[in-house]
Amino acid sequence: MRIVSTVIIALLLVLLQATVLELAPVQMIAPACGILVVLYAAFSQQWSLSSVAVLAFVVGYLFDLVSGAPLGVHAFVYVMISQFARLLTTRLVVRGFVLTAGAAFVAALLGGVLVIVVRAQVSPEGGYDGLGQVPIEGLITGLFAPPILWLLNQIEGRLDPARLRVGLARRRRRALTHAASNQRP
Amino acid sequence: MSGPRQKLREVATVAATALVALFLLRQSARHPGELGMLDRGVLAVLSPVQGALSSVGRNIGNLAGRYVDLVHVRTENETFRRDNIRLRAELLEAKRGASETARLQRILELRDSITAETIAARVISVDTSPYFRIARVTLDRGEGSVTRGMPVITPEGVVGRIDRVAGSTADIQLAVDPRFAIDVFLPRSRGRGILRGKAGENGFRCAIEYLVRGQPAEVGDQVMSSGLGSNFPRDLPVGRVTRVIKAGTNGLYQEVEVTPDVDFVRLSEVLVVVAPPPAADPEANPRRTAAPARGVVMYR
Repeated sequence: MRIVSTVIIALLLVLLQATVLELAPVQMIAPACGILVVLYAAFSQQWSLSSVAVLAFVVGYLFDLVSGAPLGVHAFVYVMISQFARLLTTRLVVRGFVLTAGAAFVAALLGGVLVIVVRAQVSPEGGYDGLGQVPIEGLITGLFAPPILWLLNQIEGRLDPARLRVGLARRRRRALTHAASNQRP
Repeated sequence: MSGPRQKLREVATVAATALVALFLLRQSARHPGELGMLDRGVLAVLSPVQGALSSVGRNIGNLAGRYVDLVHVRTENETFRRDNIRLRAELLEAKRGASETARLQRILELRDSITAETIAARVISVDTSPYFRIARVTLDRGEGSVTRGMPVITPEGVVGRIDRVAGSTADIQLAVDPRFAIDVFLPRSRGRGILRGKAGENGFRCAIEYLVRGQPAEVGDQVMSSGLGSNFPRDLPVGRVTRVIKAGTNGLYQEVEVTPDVDFVRLSEVLVVVAPPPAADPEANPRRTAAPARGVVMYR
């Protein structure tokens, strides 16, 4: 359930990103939303190693389909990034604006380079062109990472059935309050 | 005991996902542009959503533009505010309608001017990833007749070529994608070279390779398709030279940067050249001299 909802959110983010960029007056570089979703899962202790990998693969595969990239490029790169991020969390507690932005910058940098390297292997005619864009994309991804990760955390908190059961979710609390007020004479 | 087993299962899942991704990559490298049943199914679900979001986005953009205009009118003259609002809204609507008609008219003119068979397509998204310059279109008709490698053009010039097709949705590899290459010439100097997309620091740029130094290019030179070595019609505008990077004194070739004539950000309708022009009938008019080489060369 959690994987499905996160994949849907990732897909919406990617589609919205393409639409918003279309409206921009000049050609812009967008944050790597797919990588941010993968990072969110990898940084969260509620996701197991395997579910992070599966999520990364599905998000990458969908991103390949949406972006028109050769199938498997982002799927492979995102799986690698997810494992890198999980490895990072064993050494570092990624919390706060600076650490989250820094970790997202490094992950986006690594992701960009990996995408270009894999692209060069799949279709060699493109070469390693586009490496100049990687740091800029990394910077933008790093800047957008804290608010997007916070947003994903909020959404997952609302959808998490475990949290609903123990009454931590706002919707559940509101429902209980409503029921109690109805019982009063 | 469940600890090591659990860990092993986790590692096996991670390895399996990486292997499946590698398998997909291998298939993509072997059969570029081909999609499986699952991919087609997912695309069939995603494309309408993508198209709807794009349409909503454009409408929001139009509304925002209209709102800015309305605020401007209000500050300019409060007395005639209502009249101004109405008139400006009408004018904007008329302008939008006129520009759309003009755009469609130009598409139709282009369609008539080239003898090859074409199919119109509407763009639903452009450039989702900076490393793959791809535009997604929905075909108005002719589902099944569009295949990989077919040229895509607009009245402004060369857009790219079809990369992969799924039902009525097709992906266009834009002329600015580093994997794109087309034979071009400069009408002023008659120099010829290979135009390649240049993904990088400047966004939408191309570069001409193998342009001989003896035929020097200048900034502002028009770049046209030569029609050689590919299935693009001859004499289509491609772009303009924006920078000439001189090679060393011993170099054979000069490097030239080109800015495409097509505004890829504002791409809305395109034409896909699906078939070469019909062969001339020698019996039909024996006195008529042969037409200059223009049109679409045969598919490989």
